[in-house]
Amino acid sequence: MAALASTTRTIARKWTPHALPLAAKATAAASVHQTRSISETHQTSSFDSPFKGAGAGTKIPSFAAYRNKSGGETGPRVFSYFMVGTMGALASLGAKNTVQDFLVNMSASADVLAQAKVEIDLSAIPEGKNVIIKWRGKPVFIRHRTDAEVQEAEDTKWESLRDPQSDSDRVKKPEWLIMLGVCTHLGCVPIGEAGDFGGWFCPCHGSHYDISGRIRKGPAPLNLEIPEYDFPEEGKVVIG
Amino acid sequence: MTMLARSALRTVRPLGAAARNAASRTATRSASTSSSTAEGTASSWKTNALPAGATLFAIGSVAWYYQMFGRNVDAMTPAEEGLHPTKYPWEHAKWYKTFDHASLRRGFQVYREVCASCHSLSRVPYRAAVGNFMTVDEAKALAEENEYDTEPNNEGEIEKRPGKLSDYLPSPYKNDEAARAANNGALPPDLSLMVKARHGGCDYIFSLLTGYPEEPPAGAVVQEGLNFNPYFPGTGIAMARVLYDDLVEYDDGTKATTSQMAKDVTEFLNWAAEPEMDDRKKMGWKVLAISSVLFALSVWVKRYKWAPIKSRKLVYTPPVQSKILTKLPQPPNKS
Amino acid sequence: MAGLASSIYNALFRRNTVMLGTVFASAFAMQLGFDTGSEKIWNSINQGRQWKDIKHKFMEQAEDDEE
Repeated sequence: MAALASTTRTIARKWTPHALPLAAKATAAASVHQTRSISETHQTSSFDSPFKGAGAGTKIPSFAAYRNKSGGETGPRVFSYFMVGTMGALASLGAKNTVQDFLVNMSASADVLAQAKVEIDLSAIPEGKNVIIKWRGKPVFIRHRTDAEVQEAEDTKWESLRDPQSDSDRVKKPEWLIMLGVCTHLGCVPIGEAGDFGGWFCPCHGSHYDISGRIRKGPAPLNLEIPEYDFPEEGKVVIG
Repeated sequence: MTMLARSALRTVRPLGAAARNAASRTATRSASTSSSTAEGTASSWKTNALPAGATLFAIGSVAWYYQMFGRNVDAMTPAEEGLHPTKYPWEHAKWYKTFDHASLRRGFQVYREVCASCHSLSRVPYRAAVGNFMTVDEAKALAEENEYDTEPNNEGEIEKRPGKLSDYLPSPYKNDEAARAANNGALPPDLSLMVKARHGGCDYIFSLLTGYPEEPPAGAVVQEGLNFNPYFPGTGIAMARVLYDDLVEYDDGTKATTSQMAKDVTEFLNWAAEPEMDDRKKMGWKVLAISSVLFALSVWVKRYKWAPIKSRKLVYTPPVQSKILTKLPQPPNKS
Repeated sequence: MAGLASSIYNALFRRNTVMLGTVFASAFAMQLGFDTGSEKIWNSINQGRQWKDIKHKFMEQAEDDEE
């Protein structure tokens, strides 16, 4: 075992310089340089540090002028917390406003908002008539209902309907029924004054709506939708 | 694989040696320069020659480049370029000033009564005037004076309806071709962004409006159907002088001189091009105020955080060395 | 003075959560104060130039026309 170890050692010794002749030369050269440079520096002066002025020794300045003279710790501590806190507050203010600006940027622009409201003169609509207007690209039905129609809409037993809703929940003034003219089934535009219930009838798949716009028969799942609207003055309605 | 690694090693080793060599050489040189002064002056002249030469070369090449490519090259004659507009001290152009909204109101009146017969302002809706120089009722009344197309009705016909606040100002001509046909082939440009679209901005428009001479100077060639205006590139402009004293009657009693009208309509056109200017300037000042305070605070916090690091002392006390041999049990003294 | 400082410290800065709350509350207050203040300064610099300074003329006029 020992003999084997010694043979490998000798092989290794022989192999290394043989296998890497350049490397060996390089190390040799480097060592020569090193020795030479050391000897040279010895000749010129007593060389210690490559940095200028290092030999003079570092003078440590006095920081006494910066010391807290009041003696107490609380004053400076409150001050430094105040400064850090103010910076945090201002930074969070700026961050909040930046984020807010980006979010506001995503909301509807002024020209869209300007078109989002439609004002309609109601005095031009006689009793018992339908008017269809366009609002945000969708038709809106405005029905000036007669007293008999209002009575009919209110007397209907709405609790048992598919989408139970009382007539008073669907109108702000009983004589004015305002709703989106989009069938809740697949989005056709229903025909007015038609169908089995005296209201609207969708020609696409045969949904029947009553005089309050509630679904009574056919495939549609929901009542006709009511948009946001308001009566700012007598005889005028603003939709949107 | 091993071959590759070995060849890489071969290249690396001599490089390392060379670096070591260079390092030792510089060390010796710096040591020698500090020791002998005569040699020091000689070598300092030599070391200065290189940077000085490099600087001269750099300056020279910049000068050469400038005289080759840096000078203005005018493709057009001064007449084709047009007279540069005079710089006027616009009050609303100051960093901290809004538009003078009374002037905007007068300027809109001038636009409506004078310019609008040829020039469109198609990017400005009536609603923009509300809260800037008109009340809601005035703007609504103005909008209703014009008719706009409705969306197709049940029969697919397009009808006419009175204008609303959300409508844009009407154009005098149906389309560009109609405008050209009515104006001798010259297209009156849309004025919505004109202040931004011309060199000189407000100065140019004011100079152009007020710069028509009584008659073209001697020697100037003015084509048939064109008018002479030195501020217009090419000096021949299809638009004739339109502003004359007392052309409009301002409802706030301001005297409607030519320059007053030109100033008002220029400021109005600047508003049309930059309706956000008032808010933009205010917001800019607020951002500057907040961020300058934030900057000062952050400098303070930086100094606060660095104070202990910059003012600390590091003291190295070497451990007391004791020879390990003394700790060995001594052999008993025989004598 | 020292009593005031220490009471401020104890009330606002001692606990980290309270400090955070203080910072956000003061950010809110600063926003309000800064907006009002800058608005005031801006309006005083631009006295008489903005629509709100001149609109009373035209509002009154419109009312007069109706009468």
